Amino acid sequence: MYYTDILRRSSRSLKSAKARTLLTALAIAVGTFALTMTLAASNGAQSYVNKIISDNFDPAELIVAKDQTVFQSGDRTKPKEYDSSFVSSVSNAGATTQTKRLNDEDLAKIKSQPDIEQIRLGTSVNLRYITRSGQKKYVGTAQGFSPAQNPQILAGKIPKPLNNKNILLPEAYVSALGFSSPNDAIGKSVTLVVSRPFSESTVRSLAQNGTLDSSKKIESAFDTATLEQQFIIVGIMKKPMSSQPGTELYMFIGVEDAQVLNDYATLGTADYHKYAFVYARVKDGNDNNKLLAAKKTLQSAEYFVNSVEDTQKFLTQIISVLRGIVVAFGMIAIIASVFGIVNTMYISVLQRTSEIGLMKALGMRKRDIGKLFRFEAAWIGFLGGIIGSLSALAVGTALNPWITEKLDLGVGNKLLIFRALQIIILIIILMIVAILAGLLPARKAAKLDPIEALRTE
Amino acid sequence: MIVVKNLNKAYGKKDNLFLALKDVSFEIPDGSTLAIIGKSGSGKSTLMHIMSGLDHPSGGSVVIDDQELHAMKSRAMDNFRAKQMSFIFQSFFVEANQTCYQNVMLPLEIAKVPRRHRKDMVLKALKAVELEDKVYNLASNLSGGQKQRLAIARAIVNKPKLIFADEPTGNLDSTTGDLIMSLLFGLNKKLGCTLVIVTHDEELASKCLTQIRLKDGSIERMSKTKESRKK
Ligand SMILES: Nc1ncnc2c1ncn2[C@@H]1O[C@H](COP(=O)(O)OP(=O)(O)O)[C@@H](O)[C@H]1O
Ligand SMILES: [Mg+2]
Repeated sequence: MYYTDILRRSSRSLKSAKARTLLTALAIAVGTFALTMTLAASNGAQSYVNKIISDNFDPAELIVAKDQTVFQSGDRTKPKEYDSSFVSSVSNAGATTQTKRLNDEDLAKIKSQPDIEQIRLGTSVNLRYITRSGQKKYVGTAQGFSPAQNPQILAGKIPKPLNNKNILLPEAYVSALGFSSPNDAIGKSVTLVVSRPFSESTVRSLAQNGTLDSSKKIESAFDTATLEQQFIIVGIMKKPMSSQPGTELYMFIGVEDAQVLNDYATLGTADYHKYAFVYARVKDGNDNNKLLAAKKTLQSAEYFVNSVEDTQKFLTQIISVLRGIVVAFGMIAIIASVFGIVNTMYISVLQRTSEIGLMKALGMRKRDIGKLFRFEAAWIGFLGGIIGSLSALAVGTALNPWITEKLDLGVGNKLLIFRALQIIILIIILMIVAILAGLLPARKAAKLDPIEALRTE
Repeated sequence: MIVVKNLNKAYGKKDNLFLALKDVSFEIPDGSTLAIIGKSGSGKSTLMHIMSGLDHPSGGSVVIDDQELHAMKSRAMDNFRAKQMSFIFQSFFVEANQTCYQNVMLPLEIAKVPRRHRKDMVLKALKAVELEDKVYNLASNLSGGQKQRLAIARAIVNKPKLIFADEPTGNLDSTTGDLIMSLLFGLNKKLGCTLVIVTHDEELASKCLTQIRLKDGSIERMSKTKESRKK
């Protein structure tokens, strides 16, 4: 028999037992639905992570630190030895800790590595406040702007490079600072203010010459230890579609401008010219081998190094675990449905005993009869796969806008991303599984004795 | 020409040994009609199954057109059956949820008849059994006589040399049975195929050129009509 004839006959016999076929296929469809959704969700999560990464990091850069805890790794259950060269800091949970930081010497050492092209500080300036004439004062964080960053702009544009006391503001500051619209803010100036804690020696000298004789004087003395700088607004950033939580209100200034503010704010403290981490750009770092080689050299110099990929892996890890769990459940559903296929196929063989006998009497080959039933099983797998994946596709497409809104993923981002290739592969796997399930019943059919099958009595 | 020589068929072993066929020998020329008659359990079906290669003899041989049937490899045997033989059964064995057209198509698919010839052959066969107005009807909607006619159409569609019919009228009332038989004999004349009919209907048997009467697995009597002696 020709393949097409076998194929047609097998689909016809399925059609003649519609309810049974459909119920068996539905069992497979449930598992397929779960698997398709899981794949789509992990595609979406993956691409979301990738977007965060590509919007914020340059893949040719390595993040170099002196302390493992910068990368959320390392043992935090053991007491940490006190190091007098660093100040202690307080974590979100209120725990006191010390983070070893890089100093200028380290920077020079990193820079001297032959495969390191350039070093960029990830300077973050804690402003005392930002304001503009006649407006309220607001707290804020100014970040050194990385050329790899790609925020969406509502008004103005990002100069390359961003420097010379230009600033990018998040849209939330527009009305807060009294502008009527994002466009209205462009070209206007704002004041950034940082302050410096007094060092012991300064306070002593001021007290000695009697300057600090009243509380008012003390306050004004503090005021003199602030640095005010005017910045020109060159761009208003849209609320980011994808960002690490808590960074939505970052304003961006040039790296050198940020350094000036930071140096002022930290002068005389243990934080002065100390860096939790720096970005080290690797020569031809888009070549993964070179990136890894550079990472090794830095690691052998006792630094802790993360590539963008490591960061990505860290974020993706959680996704993979969740995906694994749901995939396991989907597999269980499919394995359960395998028994359904075996059962259905056995019934089919029993019901069609005389038909099989006749076909054998008419000279149909054993293996063609086996094929007939294996194809039938494959059809069931195909049908279940199609029903499951198409309904997942329909439900997912319908839910996507709602999910995007609820999870605040930002316009254009989707949680569920369906990939045709994945679905096709899934269906092919299902068909193979179904064929395997149909193997025994098909063997039974092929081995049937036509004389027995055609006995009338 | 079919030559059956010293056929034996034993079922079971040792103490349970049962001989269903004992030293059966006969010859029938091409295009002839043969009736195998006898009581229930006399070995009629067993003989037919061995003659058609569905069953293996314990001894002896069946030679069809100089080919020893049971010496063939299974592939050659399947091919031989697909191209040269067909069957008609007491309980029709037509596929109820397929159309007449699809039912008659089956032997052509099995024999790998080129697709372009198929439709023609199917329609011709259905016409020969006067089912041309039921081509796309489901077989389940047919009456018993129509079902058997459909089975006959399926049997003749690939122009076999040999048609085996096991009690073809057994499930039909006598009028319909007569109609079916005259149809079969007509086709035998028209197409020249050899017809082997298993029956316990004496009247039907008498219409065949050769009759073989089996009793307990042996030929009790073999008779030929005058017509056949002339041949
Ligand atoms: N597979 C078998 N095993 C044992 N005995 C069998 C088998 N098939 C048929 N027989 C016996 O062989 C004898 C002939 O059977 P069969 O050819 O079917 O008779 P008929 O068709 O004339 O009624 C019967 O007695 C039957 O019981
Ligand atoms: Mg019988």
